[in-house]
Amino acid sequence: MKKMEDIIEELRAGFGESCLNYNIVHENEMRIGVNEVDVRRMAELLCRDKGMKLACMFASDETLLPSGEFAIYYVFADAERGAFIIARMAVDSEKMSYPSVSDFIHSASFYEREIHDLFGIKAEGNESLKPMVFHGNWPEGEYPLRKTYDRSRKPAFASRRQEFMKVKGEGVYEIPVGPVHAGIIEPGHFRFSVAGEPIINLEAQLYFVHKGIEKMCEGMDFKKCFYVSERISGDETFSNALAYCQAVEKIAGVQIPRRAQITRVIFAELERLTSHLGDIGGVCLDIGYGFATFQFRMMRGWTYQLVEAVCTSRFLRSVNTPGGVRKDFLEGNEKRIIEMMIKIEKELLETIDIIKAKSLYIDRVENTGTLKKKTAIDLNATGPAGRASGVHYDVRKSFPYEAYGDMEFEVSMHNNGDVNCRLNVKLEECIQSIKLIMQGINMLESGSMCSKIDFLPPYVSALGYTESPRGENIHWIMSGENNDIYRYKVRTPSFCNWPALCEAVRGNIVPDFPIINKSFNLSYAGNDL
Amino acid sequence: MIKKIIQYPRLTQKYPKKPLDLPDFIGKPEIDNSKCTGCNECISACPSGCIVRDEKGVIGINLDECIFCARCEDVCASGAARMTSEFELAQKDRRLLRKTPLVIEERDIPDERYELIQREVKEKIKKIYGRSLQIRVVDAGSCNGCDYEINGLNNPFNDIERFGIRFVPSPRHADMLLVTGTATRNMELALIKTYNATPDPKLVVAVGACACSGGIFRDNYATRNGIDCIVPVDVYVPGCPPRPHAILYGILKALDRVGKK
Repeated sequence: MKKMEDIIEELRAGFGESCLNYNIVHENEMRIGVNEVDVRRMAELLCRDKGMKLACMFASDETLLPSGEFAIYYVFADAERGAFIIARMAVDSEKMSYPSVSDFIHSASFYEREIHDLFGIKAEGNESLKPMVFHGNWPEGEYPLRKTYDRSRKPAFASRRQEFMKVKGEGVYEIPVGPVHAGIIEPGHFRFSVAGEPIINLEAQLYFVHKGIEKMCEGMDFKKCFYVSERISGDETFSNALAYCQAVEKIAGVQIPRRAQITRVIFAELERLTSHLGDIGGVCLDIGYGFATFQFRMMRGWTYQLVEAVCTSRFLRSVNTPGGVRKDFLEGNEKRIIEMMIKIEKELLETIDIIKAKSLYIDRVENTGTLKKKTAIDLNATGPAGRASGVHYDVRKSFPYEAYGDMEFEVSMHNNGDVNCRLNVKLEECIQSIKLIMQGINMLESGSMCSKIDFLPPYVSALGYTESPRGENIHWIMSGENNDIYRYKVRTPSFCNWPALCEAVRGNIVPDFPIINKSFNLSYAGNDL
Repeated sequence: MIKKIIQYPRLTQKYPKKPLDLPDFIGKPEIDNSKCTGCNECISACPSGCIVRDEKGVIGINLDECIFCARCEDVCASGAARMTSEFELAQKDRRLLRKTPLVIEERDIPDERYELIQREVKEKIKKIYGRSLQIRVVDAGSCNGCDYEINGLNNPFNDIERFGIRFVPSPRHADMLLVTGTATRNMELALIKTYNATPDPKLVVAVGACACSGGIFRDNYATRNGIDCIVPVDVYVPGCPPRPHAILYGILKALDRVGKK
């Protein structure tokens, strides 16, 4: 692999031979071992000089393995060359700490806080290791993701006070909102610091729906664990399940049939279409534009009906399966799908023409909730949120998976980063999705739907990645003995985009918050796990 | 724009007055005991562990725990297990959904005795509710699938307002709580506070496998096994997620509008 050799050369140039024990697996994953002394230098080299991004960072309790230690993994994504560099660093078991990289990679701060909460491993140099996953009711010194912690043990309720950032000044007041909100949405607590109408600071307290998914998957059979991955976030069922399946297929070394690959693309795009139509409808509802809301809800209703008619489940559940697709759902349904796509495309284009001509709509969305490009890069904002701010990154293009490599589509590009741009990105992606679905149907060739996977080799790890409707979605799996899962790390796009949302609302007025929030359309369940 | 508004005929479906005209979809799973060979393949394959044998050895499904994944149908060699498209599954008593006896986690329901006395009053009040109902939705730890389906009740196809039912922003305005999710550790207090903020008499409907029993997320460090360990529940709606019509059926069942003709 040419591109991999280039990366190795660059690392060698920056580091010398000292820390380079690497191996390349699954075509585009390069594993490197790194020690505490070099990790900051390496992160600096890759992220600052080479322009890669920290796609994910997590800890793993490997005390039961021969190495007998905790390890921190850094996943760097090289979007230009389509490669992942996964650096593994062992943690000193006496100190239980490691050097933080959050002073120059801002997005690392949130991963470091998460690792601190779940494993009790401290990032030295990160000043803000405030509890994130657990609220005041969780006792100190209990770290559920360590292997010594029993999955079903529920510690007694503690009562620590929850601290929020205080903004001082004349006339500054706080508005607490949630966790039970006015609309039919998930729980989260927002603390606004406001002077007059503009928001000075927003702090979001999430993890109200933290269910302990990563812990419960450990030791679970990989075929059963698949159903948990489908239930990480309801409206991203398919892309989460797809990322899980990809990782499992890589571990098992199985190539899935062509027909299944194309089927997966079609369903993934149907999910994106459904999700985006719902979002745009939601923004119109918050603006108070009833006509547009019902138009989009109607179109979303159509997609749901189509999906249900094709694959019997409205949320595309039980469609995927490790090794392929569960049944040949598309056979005999091609005509119905194409007819519906033409109908939706026509309706969508006509509706866009109407709403874009109304000042009611334009006034509210333009220059509202601007996310600057620099902030978007620093916080690793992904998906439509990133693309609207000028980060033109799409997993489907940079790391083509399934059949995306052979398909033609455009990635929408906008630069202003306001609500209008995010909506435009979503509208354009709807059209692209429709095109991709049509292309997929034309590309379908007969064949089997599923390669059987009966055995997972123990202690092998792999990455699964998809572009979910909300953005880059990364799952990392290490298999255990007897076909079970040793460690399952899920990083959904919502995890990256929540901090970006908090930045984007600054300086906007409180009544605009629902619109900005809806334009990001973040999943609470996908973030909280 | 006006042309657009009148472009389509009425989209709202006539459910529940007329049965739905729907294609096949995954509804209630069934196991035919006469075909079952007793291989126990489905019991070991079920991700949420809802397939059981009772004390007589008869196989069955605890519907409150079922996540409707159709895996039992896939692994069953003799064709005994199959998914039907029955969706009107809501029950007032969780025991009616189960094959094996119910073991509820320790309960600490506030004012339980008071609840029992209240039940009679409630029966009468239903006549008043029968005309209009205000619902507050609480997500106590779902994956957001159930919430999207509840949202779906508002779309032009279901249009729940035709029954005089409305979703309201505050529990203080509500007659009914529609609760989704397992009740996570971090949401427990919020759920109790919301329950207490809802004026009496009130109804609670548990939507989805998680709210009924914990579903696939049972017995975890951060979850409870269903919301009935925390608040009293009037109607259980199984499903993962239940389709909008199943939720509607559950709501109407709580009001005794369905089932009595």
